[in-house]
Amino acid sequence: MNRITAILLAGASVAICVAGVRASAQPAESHEAPVLGVSSLGDAAMGEIGRRIASAPKGSTVEIGPGVYRERIRIDRALTLVGTGSPVIDGEGSGDIIEITAPGVTIRGFTIRNTGISLDKENVAIRVLAARATIENNVLDDVLFGIDLREAPDSVVRNNRIGGKELDIARRGDGLRLWRSDNVLVEGNHFHDGRDAILWYSKGVVVRGNSAIDCRYGLHLMFSDDVRIEGNELARNSVGLYLMYSTGVEIIGNRFLQNRGPSGYGIGLKETDRFTVRDNVIAANRVGVYIDGSPFTTAQPGLFTRNTVAYNDIGFAFLPSARGNELTENNFIDNIDQVSVSGRGDLSANRFWSGDIGNYWSDYTGYDQNEDGIGDFVHESQTLFENMMDKEPKLRLFLFSPAQQAIEFVGRVLPAVRPEPKFTDEVPLMAPVEIDAMRRMGAASSRALGGAGVGLLGLGMSVLALARGSGGDRGPRRRSGRNMAEQGS
Amino acid sequence: MSALTGSTTRLDGAVRTPAFAPPGMVRNIMTVAVRELRDAVRARWFVLYTLAFAVLGLGISYVSAVGAGGVGLSGFGRTAAGLINLVLLVVPLMALTAGAGSIASDRERGMLAYLLAQPVSRTEVLLGKYVGLAGALLACICLGLGACASVLAWKGDATHPASLVWLAAMSFLLALGMLGTGMLLSVMARKASVATGTAVFLWLCLVFVTDLGLMAGTMAFHLRIEELFALSLASPLQVFKMWSLHAVDSSLDVLGPAALYAVEEHGGSLHLIFAACMTAWIVVPLGCAAVIFSRRRIT
Amino acid sequence: MIEITNVSKRFGRSLAVDDATLEIQAGDSVALWGVNGAGKSTLIRCMLGLLSFRGTIRIDGHDVRKRGKRARMCVGYVPQEIGFYDDLGVAEAVRYFGKLKGIRMRSTEGVLERVGLLGHESKRIRELSGGMKQRLALAIALLGDPPVLIMDEVTASLDVAGRQEFISFLSELSGRGRTMLFASHRSDEIANLAGRVVVMERGRIKSVQSADAFAEGLDSHVTLHLLIAASARGEAIAVLNRGGYSPTMNGVGVLVPVTARQKGGPFALLNKAQIAIDDFHVLTRHDVGHVRGTEGSTA
Repeated sequence: MNRITAILLAGASVAICVAGVRASAQPAESHEAPVLGVSSLGDAAMGEIGRRIASAPKGSTVEIGPGVYRERIRIDRALTLVGTGSPVIDGEGSGDIIEITAPGVTIRGFTIRNTGISLDKENVAIRVLAARATIENNVLDDVLFGIDLREAPDSVVRNNRIGGKELDIARRGDGLRLWRSDNVLVEGNHFHDGRDAILWYSKGVVVRGNSAIDCRYGLHLMFSDDVRIEGNELARNSVGLYLMYSTGVEIIGNRFLQNRGPSGYGIGLKETDRFTVRDNVIAANRVGVYIDGSPFTTAQPGLFTRNTVAYNDIGFAFLPSARGNELTENNFIDNIDQVSVSGRGDLSANRFWSGDIGNYWSDYTGYDQNEDGIGDFVHESQTLFENMMDKEPKLRLFLFSPAQQAIEFVGRVLPAVRPEPKFTDEVPLMAPVEIDAMRRMGAASSRALGGAGVGLLGLGMSVLALARGSGGDRGPRRRSGRNMAEQGS
Repeated sequence: MSALTGSTTRLDGAVRTPAFAPPGMVRNIMTVAVRELRDAVRARWFVLYTLAFAVLGLGISYVSAVGAGGVGLSGFGRTAAGLINLVLLVVPLMALTAGAGSIASDRERGMLAYLLAQPVSRTEVLLGKYVGLAGALLACICLGLGACASVLAWKGDATHPASLVWLAAMSFLLALGMLGTGMLLSVMARKASVATGTAVFLWLCLVFVTDLGLMAGTMAFHLRIEELFALSLASPLQVFKMWSLHAVDSSLDVLGPAALYAVEEHGGSLHLIFAACMTAWIVVPLGCAAVIFSRRRIT
Repeated sequence: MIEITNVSKRFGRSLAVDDATLEIQAGDSVALWGVNGAGKSTLIRCMLGLLSFRGTIRIDGHDVRKRGKRARMCVGYVPQEIGFYDDLGVAEAVRYFGKLKGIRMRSTEGVLERVGLLGHESKRIRELSGGMKQRLALAIALLGDPPVLIMDEVTASLDVAGRQEFISFLSELSGRGRTMLFASHRSDEIANLAGRVVVMERGRIKSVQSADAFAEGLDSHVTLHLLIAASARGEAIAVLNRGGYSPTMNGVGVLVPVTARQKGGPFALLNKAQIAIDDFHVLTRHDVGHVRGTEGSTA
């Protein structure tokens, strides 16, 4: 009972966050259970593809050639529907497009576009209502919902590109939704401009090598256990990955970048249990990792290992309810606030080192005389300004100011005002740990930046040239000599 | 016929009133400005400030670019935050002292009386000096930040180029405001040393005292966020900082609740608010300086 | 050409110029004569618009306060010592001030040749001797052939040779229809340059005389500067007072004004009182201000 209240509250708060000033209650609907067992295709007229399907025997392969097909499709028997030459199925801006009602269907190689925009009816490009569907190598464009698996276990969603409609985030649908669909493989898909990719009550799902950009939640788990999330890139979303009420989640080798919505978490963990977060890059988010009530039980500590947490406004944000997390071999690089704890909470129930392994802290001020790679002094996080910001968030307004540095300086030299350390790492690493996910990141193109630099330099130099060049008494001597001669003649 | 147009070598005959009118305001301002700029870029303070600015900026850029390592993105965060901090420290000091030194030291050396005995108005001299020094400050800012951008680009940093150009532009606006304020001190002070001393004191106030005071106020009186935001608009440094951040990341969320409030409350007009504050800081001190200067006695 | 009407200038409590009225015709060469502090420089600064004042001053019909720029177009000004950017080259300086006066110059050679600075174009001002600096100032003052030349103690900072050379320059320039006004307390300048002498004392114009009449008066009174041991000075003053003189003490001796034909009197008196005179100088009136020196400053 308690849990359901929590879900409702969470759903509502998420909705409010996202809707922001637009004050729309619509997104809350996404968290209500979809209406099951009702075909939304209704009595749509049968088109060419439909006729081909109707005439195809069970287990056969139907090949569809190039062209634009304006029709609704229902697949009610196990078959493989293959598009050759990129055929387009166009929903003409209303309703759903494809519905799969039989197990063992494969759809491959189509461009499916232009669903309706009704959030109430959850207009979708592909709805799967049966097990063992394979949906791969499709391009879904301008769709409200992308792929909706309802009680479709053992399905595969692979190498699709799914692009949402150009609507307010509150009026968009989910690029991918799993509802009670266990053991699904979601691999190599690319989601953009949608709402969420969301897993409801789905066990044993593998989410691997996908990317989500400019969505609301890059990936969202609700009550989904034993999920493996690996090698994904979730960037520029409102929130990268958000786990709620899920157990046994492994988060490995992903990249969570620039997720800066109102909450702006790279990874958010709410009452999630038995989880491992390792080898991820979590950078430039508003909050790198947000931990609320996780791990939920004491069965296993929340493990954070070998992650690079860099350039976030806040590296790790702990709510007072977060206990029993263990952080080792992570790189904390230049987060404005490396680790914060909100309210009056403290971090004593979480560990920032274990055995003889700690983390790398870019703000570590000690040294390593015996050259064993471990700092000779305990790392104590205790900058005065961070401490003040934790107590009074309004003070963030003074970030990046010399006054902030003055306060930090005072905090360092005057033990009397030095705050209690938030946490300690007794064996801090001297150098960052190398992480594969970082190596895979391509070097950003800096040509434009170089151009800006050269431009600025050029402007500066030309001002100098103006100063040097004008007002000097150069040149006219010869000319005046001639004048003198004229005068003489 | 004389070799010189405007006839200056005529030694014979009666001397009459010159038939030509004195040069216009803009021409005189530009003449004085070019002179001032030329003098400024040769001056020790300019070289020192420019070097200090560039070297510190390069240090920040290099460290953050190398620190970014393979991540390939530092976003606006680290680099720009460091550069903003640097600009906040160096640019106001440079502009304030440059402005404070301009009129007062000329007066002390008797140069001002000689200059003003020529057919120029005081406003022309003041504005000319202002424009000239502004040019020197522009050069300093562009060279410093340009060098930073080049190093960042060389190191493969992903800072958005527009953010650096914005930063340069905002820094220049800040410099203009502080330069005018410095000149106001300069025309008010009796001695150059007093003007410079006051400028340094004012710099300390703006850079540290104002912010620390506001922080203390926030903590002690539990200022509401709208009050805090309104108060912070009084400081040109805060305006510069918020505007620079806002230009790059319109959400301003990095600055916490007060800034979020401002964005939500004012939205698109936030740019206008910042622009208005900055303009006030540029126009008002310079205007006051012009009025006071036109009434000062020159000895 | 120059009309000064009821001009008063007050510095705090002291009245530097007290209701001065003076008219100078075109082509006149007028000396302002008086000790330091008599108000000569103040009056000149008022004319140049450097000081505010009561009354009116017109130059060539232009009110210096309302149309200062236009009025100063008619004026070439030579200060006691040119105080300008020391780093500036000679030719550069000429060009700069030419620009401010609205003169397009193709060459500075003619201008510099006239004051004998040809060949020094590329020198910096700080490398010039005092005399050369004053000649440069003169060259600048003559740019654009202004009808009025105003000079303020132009030879005060020159040595004897420099002074004579400079005066001979000026005397060549006078008598060509140019109106000249110069402040001086040196009789050689007045003898060589002035047509009329305006005597100022404590801010007031005391008399206006012809140069010849002034020269006569100048010679009729002298001051004896008697160098007497410090211990005996008090007694010496008492003795001289009793003898009907009005001696004053200065740092190294006693000053006794006497008529030119009775210089022996004080010697006889002191001799009689057995006060030893170590040494003495005879000062003409124009020297006195110098010896008093400490009394008042050039305002």
